[in-house]
Amino acid sequence: MFDPPIPGRHDVRICVVGGGGSGAALAYDLALRGFSVLLLEKGEFTSGTTGRHHGQLHSGARYAVGDRAIARECMEETLVLRRIVPEAIEYNGGIFAAIRDDEADYAPAFVSACLESGIPAREIPVTEARALEPVLNPALKRAVWVPDGTLDAYRLAASFLAAAAALGADLRAFTELVGIEVSDGRIRGGTVRGPDAREERVSFDVLVSATGAWAGRVGSLAGLDIPVTPAPGTMVAVRGRLSDLVLSRLAPPGDGDILVPQRGLSIIGSTQSRADSPEGILPTRAEIEFLRVRADELAPGFSRAPFHAAWAAARPLAGRAASDAEGRGISRDFAVLDHGAEGVSGMFTLIGGKATVLRAMARKAADAVCGFLDVEEPCRTADYPLPSWRAL
Amino acid sequence: MIEVNFRIRDGKDFVELSGGFPEDATVLDALETLRARAEGAAPAARVPHYRHSCHHGSCGTCGAVVNGLPSLMCLSRLSDLAAPRPREPGGPAVEPSHGPSGELVVTLEPLTRGSLVAGIAARPTSALEGIPEEYSYLRPSEDAGRASLPADPTRDGEKLPALDGAVSPPLSGRVRFEACIECGLCSAACPVTAPFLGPAALAAVNRHREKAPESAESMLALAAGADGAPACERHLHCSRVCPQAVYPGKHIQLLRKALAGRAQ
Ligand SMILES: Cc1cc2nc3c(=O)[nH]c(=O)nc-3n(C[C@H](O)[C@H](O)[C@H](O)COP(=O)(O)OP(=O)(O)OC[C@H]3O[C@@H](n4cnc5c(N)ncnc54)[C@H](O)[C@@H]3O)c2cc1C
Ligand code: SF4
Ligand code: FES
Repeated sequence: MFDPPIPGRHDVRICVVGGGGSGAALAYDLALRGFSVLLLEKGEFTSGTTGRHHGQLHSGARYAVGDRAIARECMEETLVLRRIVPEAIEYNGGIFAAIRDDEADYAPAFVSACLESGIPAREIPVTEARALEPVLNPALKRAVWVPDGTLDAYRLAASFLAAAAALGADLRAFTELVGIEVSDGRIRGGTVRGPDAREERVSFDVLVSATGAWAGRVGSLAGLDIPVTPAPGTMVAVRGRLSDLVLSRLAPPGDGDILVPQRGLSIIGSTQSRADSPEGILPTRAEIEFLRVRADELAPGFSRAPFHAAWAAARPLAGRAASDAEGRGISRDFAVLDHGAEGVSGMFTLIGGKATVLRAMARKAADAVCGFLDVEEPCRTADYPLPSWRAL
Repeated sequence: MIEVNFRIRDGKDFVELSGGFPEDATVLDALETLRARAEGAAPAARVPHYRHSCHHGSCGTCGAVVNGLPSLMCLSRLSDLAAPRPREPGGPAVEPSHGPSGELVVTLEPLTRGSLVAGIAARPTSALEGIPEEYSYLRPSEDAGRASLPADPTRDGEKLPALDGAVSPPLSGRVRFEACIECGLCSAACPVTAPFLGPAALAAVNRHREKAPESAESMLALAAGADGAPACERHLHCSRVCPQAVYPGKHIQLLRKALAGRAQ
């Protein structure tokens, strides 16, 4: 029975825009801190980037060489998620595989960066790696074990939504924020278009936009300039569970370098390009072909397995990237933007990050809201197992 | 390219939207394209609401009745709809319908037995209500003779203290999710009209009985109810439309056998 105590109620109405993982975790965090929460999602919950991501529970190993802080946060959050929402995780660990000589040379730097980030990575003999996952390329030169796993993208986010709903949050799917009302430099409310296409005015004291690749559009409703470029990435699934462990290339993050098992599928990803709009993004033939070739390098035979599906999801790229190459360099960190200085006091944007760190993202945004309201309420989302997504 | 005329249920009416799409595009790809195209358009030109999330048959949200057959829109390819296909669960394959200029006609309706939100967006709430609370969504993975998982410092009880009321203790061996994605296609296809837990819920009851022998009795008690296995009329439409090869009909059969065995 999910029944966490709510120490005190605050007479403040907070609107969270976006029903992806970030908005879901934020709605739960704020409700647990005693706020009255309204969550708006223009489509079905998780119909944005969240439902379509690659589904890797990141130990942080992938990011360790580049950014220890991000890696450490991933490790901490995977442990929290494995406790509060174990049913949405296939936890089997992962292997970083060196197939080429330069990848083998990368192993020592990789392992020490992981250890410095609190990730208990360790090199394992090639024979052990191939006994664990015989599908690995026989050309395997070195292998490193890491505590990676698989997420159910939808059920992870939906469990947070179910928790928010159980605490009385008003969650509205198929309800789009179409207008933001600001007067005297403060947010007052907005206009929403409901499932029946009727428009309605709603009032709230604080607005947090957790709209990912749509953040620029939502910002513009309040006259803000939030430069965000949608950066789609493609994934390809074949039938057959080639491995239980997540398989990655032992190399700096690149394209087509992660193979994630999930149920009876094996999924290779991803790529990165740029788009004008986050809507209606479909994979290209060239991306699908590229990914199949890359997958064969990790697990020969991937491309011979029956094709299941190909799809794309849009990352929110900070700034207006002029080229794809520029886009690849972006940080996987997240940010909470306070729009008070731009004349919209009470409005925040939560953007970036990873599904793995959705709870940490929510904590930072909720802390910012508490700071703005001058309310002291600690984050308690790590303390309770979430209710089933079926309760949503 | 394939020219398609979509007839999409919106309340009492159908909204008709046409376009050319790649043959390997799915119904969901086409709807997404149409929706992006209609951005900012007048309400009448908008695509009726539909549900979607994963786009690869894992979340179970995108179920709809596609040309008469409960299907996942993200796995229904336009090229498949252009070929002969049953128009009802268990029915014979029928030639596709074409419009006056030869375009393929694809009719989309909400899942029956779902709770309708708008357009063709219906949640399969009642199909899932009977899933036992104690049923775990995880199960051991088919390890196919592979080495067992190596030592793992993050499984240490100190790093991972159990929380009060956690649903299921994380299993220690290789794990994976259950096959059922809780899409409700089986319930939508099921002709039974009497009160019925439904195929997905009974499949979960049987899976839980198999995985947790200590709950076998309580699961069989659930299955024995008038709305349990006895309500099933063995049409087997559930097993025909299931996108995940769960074969709910087989699980109901196994429950019946176990009940019969218990009675003796
Ligand atoms: C290709 C790819 C692979 C990835 N793989 C992984 C992975 O393996 N592991 C991992 O941890 N992370 C992964 N990520 C990252 C992860 O997907 C994102 O961090 C996460 O999904 C972002 O969630 P979000 O809630 O911030 O955004 P979204 O899920 O996009 O949510 C924003 C929501 O806002 C809604 N919205 C927009 N405008 C409005 C409005 N006006 N009114 C109401 N609602 C509105 C949208 O419909 C949308 O649902 C991947 C990302 C990509 C692109
Ligand atoms: S048994 Fe099959 S059809 Fe029924 S809900 Fe599960 S996956 Fe869907
Ligand atoms: S969108 Fe997830 S099953 Fe179709």
